[in-house]
Amino acid sequence: MRLVLQEELDTLQATLHEEGELVLRALRGAINALEQRDPELADEVIAFDDEVDRQYLAIQAGVESLLARQTPVAADLRLVLALLHNNLHLERMADYCVTIAKLTKLVYDVSPDPRLMAGFEEMGSRAEEMIRVSLDSFADRDVAVATSLVDLDELIDRANRRIVQHVLALGSNLALREWGLRMIIVSRCLERIGDHAVDIGEQTAYLVTGEFREFTDASHRAS
Amino acid sequence: MTEIETRLEAPSVKIGDVSLEHVAERPRPSGSPELREPIFQVRDVTVSYSGNPALSDVSLDIYRNCVTAFIGPSGCGKSTFIRCFNHMNALIPGATIDGTIMYHDQDLYGPEVDAVEVRKRIGMVFQKPNPFPKTIYDNIAFGPRVLGLNDNLSERVERALQQAALWDEVKDRLKASALSLSGGQQQRLCIARCLAVEPDVILMDEPASALDPIATTRIEDLMHELKQEYTIVVVTHNMQQAARVADMTAFFSVNQGAEGQRTGILVEYDATQKIFTQPADKRTEDYVTGRFG
Repeated sequence: MRLVLQEELDTLQATLHEEGELVLRALRGAINALEQRDPELADEVIAFDDEVDRQYLAIQAGVESLLARQTPVAADLRLVLALLHNNLHLERMADYCVTIAKLTKLVYDVSPDPRLMAGFEEMGSRAEEMIRVSLDSFADRDVAVATSLVDLDELIDRANRRIVQHVLALGSNLALREWGLRMIIVSRCLERIGDHAVDIGEQTAYLVTGEFREFTDASHRAS
Repeated sequence: MTEIETRLEAPSVKIGDVSLEHVAERPRPSGSPELREPIFQVRDVTVSYSGNPALSDVSLDIYRNCVTAFIGPSGCGKSTFIRCFNHMNALIPGATIDGTIMYHDQDLYGPEVDAVEVRKRIGMVFQKPNPFPKTIYDNIAFGPRVLGLNDNLSERVERALQQAALWDEVKDRLKASALSLSGGQQQRLCIARCLAVEPDVILMDEPASALDPIATTRIEDLMHELKQEYTIVVVTHNMQQAARVADMTAFFSVNQGAEGQRTGILVEYDATQKIFTQPADKRTEDYVTGRFG
């Protein structure tokens, strides 16, 4: 039965799930701070990253120990490798939340363009959904759900492109243009969170099928 | 007379004032091994056979409710060392032990200590399963009967077999010969026989080396479960087994003297995770990575 191996795999998966929940809280905090122009909330989001990092390091140490002591093979080995990847993807998502919070602090005294704010709310919600879908696909070993992330990613990509168009249309006011440039980075952060969610979906497919492939890539778009 | 018969036949005295009840009432440890309670404190122990040191100058602590593994190449003294914990070396003519081993703060080799009582509290399981040529039931009941623990004997037998994860396989044939069991079942029977007298510590000397991989996995799972209630010390030549089951690992090696005499030494002792990811000593690293030994 390999009780110790199974217990350690279960613990690592539970810790990854907790890390995902923390990332969702960080993301919601970052979006709220941006929309409400709340620098204190932004500071909380920045400080909260330590919580995510703690989980990240716990998984890293757990994987190191498990590989050294339990010599996992076959599906167990794929699970450990996928956990290692997903751990990094979640940690990077949390870093993007920190970037959004830092940008929010720089521009909280500028009155925001309501169309952009509506766009960020949409992108934030889509990013949250993608994180949930990716984690569910991994927990349920559901390749079909994982593959659906490609379509969800297309939606967040389109929203990103709309944000860029809105920023270009902001006009010649210098303060507003500076604000707009920072908002393009915010938009890019949310779009990248979506990309990392797709990457987690790819790890689900690898775990289930034993074969790693990117769902889409720049040189070979999905047909 | 076998060793087990020897240890079970004589009536006993307590080691100091440490009773089983007292031990059982102590709180369970938690957290990292460093925070746990030492059950054995070994200081400067040297074991010699006919004046020739087989193992030299070993100091370490064994922690309660941990699995502690001794690993190392042949002749490094790991089996010699584990036999110190229940006076087994005393059965070998010419064997002497220097240094101290404290057990629950009592000198294990103090003048008033009864070796038989020690072996009741500190049971041992050997490399080759060695059931008595009796029924399954009588194998387990033997120790309690000798010690006068006749109340609720059947319950005691069942509990020991349950703890050893053997009950479901033998409950319908308790009157069958123990020799009719498979090798893996016989080894779990020997563990159950050890548990039936409610020991504090279980010593295991290569407990799975004569077993197939499935039976080995069952023994390893059993060790993981038993450490909730007992302290386990295991000698294994299977390094990966130590990695899988042990909380703490001691690596022993061999020093060769100028005249070719070989003496076992303790090279490194630490949390198993540390030994297998970041050993402090180059000799340990060479051994666990397969570059030596």
